[in-house]
Amino acid sequence: MLQAPVEARDSRMNLATEGRPNVDPQQQQLVPAAPAGAEAPAYRDNSAQASIPHEITHGPAFAMLRVDLPPGQVVIAEAGAMVARHTGVAMDVKMNAGKDPGFFGMLKAIVIALIRKVVGGETFFVNHFSASQGGSVWIAPTMSGQVLHRRMNGETITLSTGAFLCSAGDVDMSLKFGGFRALFAREGAFFLEVSGRGDLWFTSYGGIEAIDVNGTYIVDNGHLVGYEGALTFDIRSAGGGLMGMVASGEGLVCEFKGQGRVYIQSRNHSSLLSWLRPLVGG
Amino acid sequence: MQYEVRQKPDFGIVAVRFDAPGEQLLVESSAMVARDTAMEMKTQMTGGILGAAKRKLLGGESIFQNTFTATAAGQTLWIAPGPEGDVQELICDGVTPVFMQSGAFLACAPTVQLDTKWGGAKGFFSGAGLFLLRAMGTGPLFFSCYGGIHPVDVGPNGYIVDTSHIVGWTGGLEYQVRKVGGLKSLFLSGEGLVCEFRGQGRVWVSTRNPSSLAAFLQPFRPVKNNG
Amino acid sequence: MQINLLHRPAQALAQVWLEPNESIVAESGAMVGMTTNVQMQTQSGGLMKGLKRMFGGESFFRNTFTAHNGNGELLLAHALSGDMSVLEMTQHGYFLQSSAFIASSPTVNIETKVGGFRGFFSGAGVFVLKAVSQGPGQVLVGGFGGIQELMCDGNIVIDTGHLVAWDATLTYTVGKSGAGWIASYLSGEGLVCHFKGQGRIWIQTRNPVEYGRSVGSQLPPRG
Repeated sequence: MLQAPVEARDSRMNLATEGRPNVDPQQQQLVPAAPAGAEAPAYRDNSAQASIPHEITHGPAFAMLRVDLPPGQVVIAEAGAMVARHTGVAMDVKMNAGKDPGFFGMLKAIVIALIRKVVGGETFFVNHFSASQGGSVWIAPTMSGQVLHRRMNGETITLSTGAFLCSAGDVDMSLKFGGFRALFAREGAFFLEVSGRGDLWFTSYGGIEAIDVNGTYIVDNGHLVGYEGALTFDIRSAGGGLMGMVASGEGLVCEFKGQGRVYIQSRNHSSLLSWLRPLVGG
Repeated sequence: MQYEVRQKPDFGIVAVRFDAPGEQLLVESSAMVARDTAMEMKTQMTGGILGAAKRKLLGGESIFQNTFTATAAGQTLWIAPGPEGDVQELICDGVTPVFMQSGAFLACAPTVQLDTKWGGAKGFFSGAGLFLLRAMGTGPLFFSCYGGIHPVDVGPNGYIVDTSHIVGWTGGLEYQVRKVGGLKSLFLSGEGLVCEFRGQGRVWVSTRNPSSLAAFLQPFRPVKNNG
Repeated sequence: MQINLLHRPAQALAQVWLEPNESIVAESGAMVGMTTNVQMQTQSGGLMKGLKRMFGGESFFRNTFTAHNGNGELLLAHALSGDMSVLEMTQHGYFLQSSAFIASSPTVNIETKVGGFRGFFSGAGVFVLKAVSQGPGQVLVGGFGGIQELMCDGNIVIDTGHLVAWDATLTYTVGKSGAGWIASYLSGEGLVCHFKGQGRIWIQTRNPVEYGRSVGSQLPPRG
């Protein structure tokens, strides 16, 4: 029988018992801010002021959001994300153009939306949910993973475009272009800068981990959910020399510099596709 | 080197912290999620050119692996596999070999040797180009699969596992691939081949099956334009 | 028969413990592993019934697993990641989305109910099953994602791609999601089902068709 040596430092697997490793809760945290377990994301939820009543269930793998709308309040959600709603909840389709767009705002939104559609497959439209008598709406993203809530209190957080799920209140969103090289990184071309006061719900494909950056840190593009703080980033090749660029499978990475917090997700759309390709043949 | 497997069993991700410069981890290519910038990353063909060619001939498995070397103490590295599912870690004891389906390999310390084991493995796994990998050595070994990893302790009475759900098993087990329920069921029942294990050891079973996912996605694929 | 659900909520695996000579009927392809004394028999339930199922898009055969010479263990799993639920049979029975069915006690009668459900689901090959039984029994269903039980107390609207099962006591109409066809298309929502009455509805927190489109459309084309 394979006997695992008992070493104080490492997680170990003892074949004589259940296959799950014994993770020592006293073990030094590998990443300062990340909590043990996958339940709570390591960032400020900041619900000091009243958020719209809501509940996130079935996390961390298949999280779904239920928003209980008070009469007169509007929740804006990514198109196609609705699971269920009370009959009294109205759904209006609108263009994703920001708060008070005006003519040029709309035009800009159309152009950007077209680019996003071509580059990132993002949808053009959002759904506005409201209930004159109150009601609930259930919202979920396409891929497996978490849904996280953030109470915005005037700060700014930058998300990768696929991470936005829905928002409520006086929350403004603007698209940031990631730079020319970012166009080659399928997931990294555009970022969504979110600011204002209100509620924001975003998603991760897989679970979310927080990494505090103080200096420089490299993150694979497809695993980036968002970031905040005094950070700049550069898109560059993964390294490993010429062969690395072609063969390492890493493609392009994001190098962050400065001080702040980066949120990563534990799965990546492109990796899923690469894994699937040999299986489907064709 | 310290490590922690987080987000089990749904999205297993491994957080690694190197304790001293020079420590290394061999990782399946495209598994890196994030790392300290100063760490060295070298891409190589595993097992040298001949070993890699042997594996490429069978297709499927990437012939490239990345070796990450720490340049200072305290550097961190995050790795995750492609499909949604579990990550299992083992500490190899230098005596018992571990066999796994080639797509399951995620990472290992350089003191664990990987070998492609041929005999009796042909047609074993239903996916294109999947074959058996044999790991032997000392130190940590990480493997993953699509779905959760469910361990089954096998004794002399044996256990039958659907071949497309097998992730890996320990040495000390004999196995025989056969069809279940007779010829009619092979074609009609939806169960293909099964593997009967006997002996003393452990089999890791995946709770999901990649070919079912591939079959599910088939109708959604774009259709080739013949014309 | 005892059904233990392991590795919930996302990688659910059903561990079925069978008494000697006890059986369970399972969807083909659901078997993951079993003790060597469990035997599998493929049954079509008659040629006509089997053909009806084949044209319905469902796989042709179901398998009956029986434990011989002692207790047996059988592991069953679903194709997509997600949770499972065991539904106890009631007087009225349940309607199930076809791909959600994993297994049932031999006393449960599963039928493909034709009529009133055309175009119910926007996904290819997905349709509605009805489960009824004279006496006690269980149905094992699996979903894509987590499974949430909702109580319908009057009315509720649910995207059809998220439906797993519902009490047969509910009445339902299928419609488009938005005010008009264009709005429905733009809104990204597919078909929705308006439920009325009293009863339970089980939904899955992810939509397989949407997932299939999002991932499948980026795979290499098929010939």
